[in-house]
Amino acid sequence: MSDKHEFILVLFLLLAALVAIVFVYVYLSSGAKSSQKEDGKGLNNTQRFWFFLLLTAALFIFASFTIPKSPYYLFEKESPSRVVFVAAQQYYWALSSEAIGPGNPGAGEAIELKRGELVEFRVTSLDVNHGFGIYDESNNLIAQTQAMPGYVNRLRWKFEKPGTYKVLCLEFCGLAHAVMRASFTVR
Amino acid sequence: MILLLWAPKLYALTPVYNLDEETNIYQPVADIRVTTEEGGIYLSEIYSGRPIILTLVYTRCAGVCNPLLMRLKENIELIDPKREFTILVLSFDPLDTLEDMQGMAKRFTLDEDPRWEFAVSREIDKLNRSIGFNPVRAGAKRQFDHEALLIGINRNGLITKKLIGLRNEAALGAMIVEINDVFVPSYPLPDNKRSFSCFNYDPATGKNSPGWGLLVLSLPATLTLLLVLVIGINSNHEHH
Amino acid sequence: MMERTTLARTTSIWIIAILLLFILSVVLGIIMRLSQGGVISQSPVVFYSQMTTHGFTMIGIWFVAGMVGVNYLMQRYVSAPVKSNIFALLFTIIGVVLLWVTTFVGKFHTGWTFLYPLPFKIAWAGWATPLFFVSLTILGVGWLVWSVSLLMAIFKKYSITRALAWQHFGKNPSFETPPFILITVITLIGVITCLLAAVLLIVLFFAEYFSSGTFVNDPLLMKNLTYFFGHTIANEMLYLGLATLYELFPEVSGRPKWKTTWYVALAWNCTLVFILTAFFHHMYMDFVQPESFQIVGQVASYLASLPAAVVTVFSVLTLIYRNSIRWSLTNVLYFMGVAGWVIGGLGAVIDATITNNLVLHNTLWVPAHFHTYNAMGNVLFSLAFFNWAANRFAGIGESGGANRLKIALLLVGGTGFLLMFYLGGAYSIPRRFNIYPMEFSLAASFARIAAVFAAVYLAAVLIFFWDILRKCLKLLTYSR
Ligand code: HEM
Ligand SMILES: [Cu+2]
Repeated sequence: MSDKHEFILVLFLLLAALVAIVFVYVYLSSGAKSSQKEDGKGLNNTQRFWFFLLLTAALFIFASFTIPKSPYYLFEKESPSRVVFVAAQQYYWALSSEAIGPGNPGAGEAIELKRGELVEFRVTSLDVNHGFGIYDESNNLIAQTQAMPGYVNRLRWKFEKPGTYKVLCLEFCGLAHAVMRASFTVR
Repeated sequence: MILLLWAPKLYALTPVYNLDEETNIYQPVADIRVTTEEGGIYLSEIYSGRPIILTLVYTRCAGVCNPLLMRLKENIELIDPKREFTILVLSFDPLDTLEDMQGMAKRFTLDEDPRWEFAVSREIDKLNRSIGFNPVRAGAKRQFDHEALLIGINRNGLITKKLIGLRNEAALGAMIVEINDVFVPSYPLPDNKRSFSCFNYDPATGKNSPGWGLLVLSLPATLTLLLVLVIGINSNHEHH
Repeated sequence: MMERTTLARTTSIWIIAILLLFILSVVLGIIMRLSQGGVISQSPVVFYSQMTTHGFTMIGIWFVAGMVGVNYLMQRYVSAPVKSNIFALLFTIIGVVLLWVTTFVGKFHTGWTFLYPLPFKIAWAGWATPLFFVSLTILGVGWLVWSVSLLMAIFKKYSITRALAWQHFGKNPSFETPPFILITVITLIGVITCLLAAVLLIVLFFAEYFSSGTFVNDPLLMKNLTYFFGHTIANEMLYLGLATLYELFPEVSGRPKWKTTWYVALAWNCTLVFILTAFFHHMYMDFVQPESFQIVGQVASYLASLPAAVVTVFSVLTLIYRNSIRWSLTNVLYFMGVAGWVIGGLGAVIDATITNNLVLHNTLWVPAHFHTYNAMGNVLFSLAFFNWAANRFAGIGESGGANRLKIALLLVGGTGFLLMFYLGGAYSIPRRFNIYPMEFSLAASFARIAAVFAAVYLAAVLIFFWDILRKCLKLLTYSR
């Protein structure tokens, strides 16, 4: 599990546990007949207003903090030193340093990237939607983009660790979806 | 095993777009010396100031050069003036003189426009190799067989976009964005002639503008709104 | 006292049909997990036909389950439609039968999202593609007529602005919109919108199918429409369940009814607006979608779900906290359902954040979170309503019986089953893989463990079914 995945899982499990605890606690409290509240009124109107405002503010702060890290802005200020063309087809990945087409089916080309260099994947599909998912040597999903017919999606990435990386299909594309794969190496 | 079974299909694929547009991407353009009205200058001196749209023509061309320039001129006028670029029109014919090129500029009434430069160079072969341009001499009339080519060069002298053929202002707009090092995470394939595309690339703003598809996409909500209004207004409410 | 109205009888037929289809679909789900775990061996075609059937049937039945509950409870406020209800029942049965024929006989297997142009890359019987769209059309027509007629019934009594509780934004509203009406109207508007999106989608599919190559769709538009329909209906069906919760939960608990206040009105009106763009989060990894849409997607995903969730949780918790509550199966199910919904929602919000989506999209994290708010959220809302309604139909009060056992089985089975999905997601295991590649050494074990837990969940469902079936049959046989 990558650090990022681990963080996500732990965060989720903690939040889930918190929710469960609160619900169990409230459930157990319901037996106690020490109710002194008026019905349905916990907070007054001003308090509620502030609660909502706080919640909205928190959301926007969270959004403005995470959105700039989106893949559409990854390495946008730099010029890539490599382009890797990717064409997906049921049930096959073609990866090539040259554009892929009738003259260059891109089959069987061994892609070797340098550690730390900026690579741009130009990903398209020749039939249905596929998902270009890059997995590192420990089988963690590190980045992805969709392969859509008619369009080219550009994913920029720097590989910091040498090794063999796998490409799996991350959009259901038909009966051999699970065995549609490719790989490349980083030195 | 299944992979092997399906592999042959790949060779049957139909051409999707002009692959030559994808050659030499992010490779440096040869830093040749060109001669303009103002004298000799290296390409690097030009692009380090403003990125370049480089177009290769020759003055005796009876083919695509004139329409290419014409189209380019028209399209440039539709484009956001805020974006910076120099259009360098360079002759690839060794027989062209600077005067020939200046004549060409006059014919297109571009000689006064500060964004346009017309030039010749003695190092044209070196340039051609670096950008993958291969004009072929054809026939006795000193004509060349060549493609209509635009090369986008960013401030670091890297080729960031190529356009082949007579292209619309949308494609040109994409190039201008690209040479200004603005990363656009996607582009449509040039042969993408599908009905109801969601977005059209708008060169005026450098952004995607709504296409027919967006209208289709907003149709369900619009229809529902109308429906709700119609039912809501036509019902007689029992008032309390 | 026993209720013998046509509405009650139709409702009980719905309930039986839904539970039957539910059991079959859960069995399909367990078979899929067994197959992924390597316990049984299935061809990819069979696996993916099952996956398509399971997904579509589940979405279909829990959508109609919400509609059934809302339609039934609506009679407390307005005169509730019956004819369109029966009409929808017939169309749903025909539609589902045709759908099962396309997937099981025709081996149609595009997944329930039938993403363009996959339905045209025929790897099944040639007739299955058109029949699939025909069955969708039948379901769509039935449901569209039904939802419009429910909306019309409400608008007969409440004006648009009152139905949407806008008067609550002013000071001292003179009229109070019942929360049930507010949520139902908000949800029905969303339902109609996404059904219309489905209609458009089907029209575009048919246009290309019959044009013999002269009309080619834009994959980006088709993907947008697909999730406009798919995401939105999956979301709205949960809100239908919530509408019944707002109506029944306080009542069954022996507490005073909830009132609509400005923040309840605000939260649900937010939902109305933002839900229509939240589906953009399905296309984060489609970099061709303009960035502004992606950002709208993230913000709208938060705004469409959180206010409604916060308000509901707030209301439910304050209603119970240190109050004496009459606990019964019905409100326990609602209560657990809210917890499941919130937990699944947290998983969803994490995934709806673009940077996380980069490493979660189309991994098992996705079925993890949507199964959480379905199998442990919306299903429980509907089971709560079913249980409550069945008791009424049988003319009995809330009974004890095997309640503890049922709840324990549901909780244990559901939690274990879901945890395996979440772990799978965290280990980057892709979703929709019929077999797991060797590298994912834990994937098959997760699947096997999940199958066991899902069987426990199924046991609970069977007990529910038996119990509810008996009560519903009492009504149906009595009237004969
Ligand atoms: C315990 C009961 C259930 C079991 C065992 C189960 C099992 C599964 C499995 C194994 C998958 C395929 C996961 C994958 O992508 O690899 C799946 C997908 C799915 N399930 Fe369930 N599920 C259950 C309940 C539900 C419920 C209650 C719903 C309600 C909406 C539901 C809706 C779906 C949908 C929409 C899909 C996606 C189908 C597709 O990818 O096309 N499931 N389920
Ligand atoms: Cu694929």
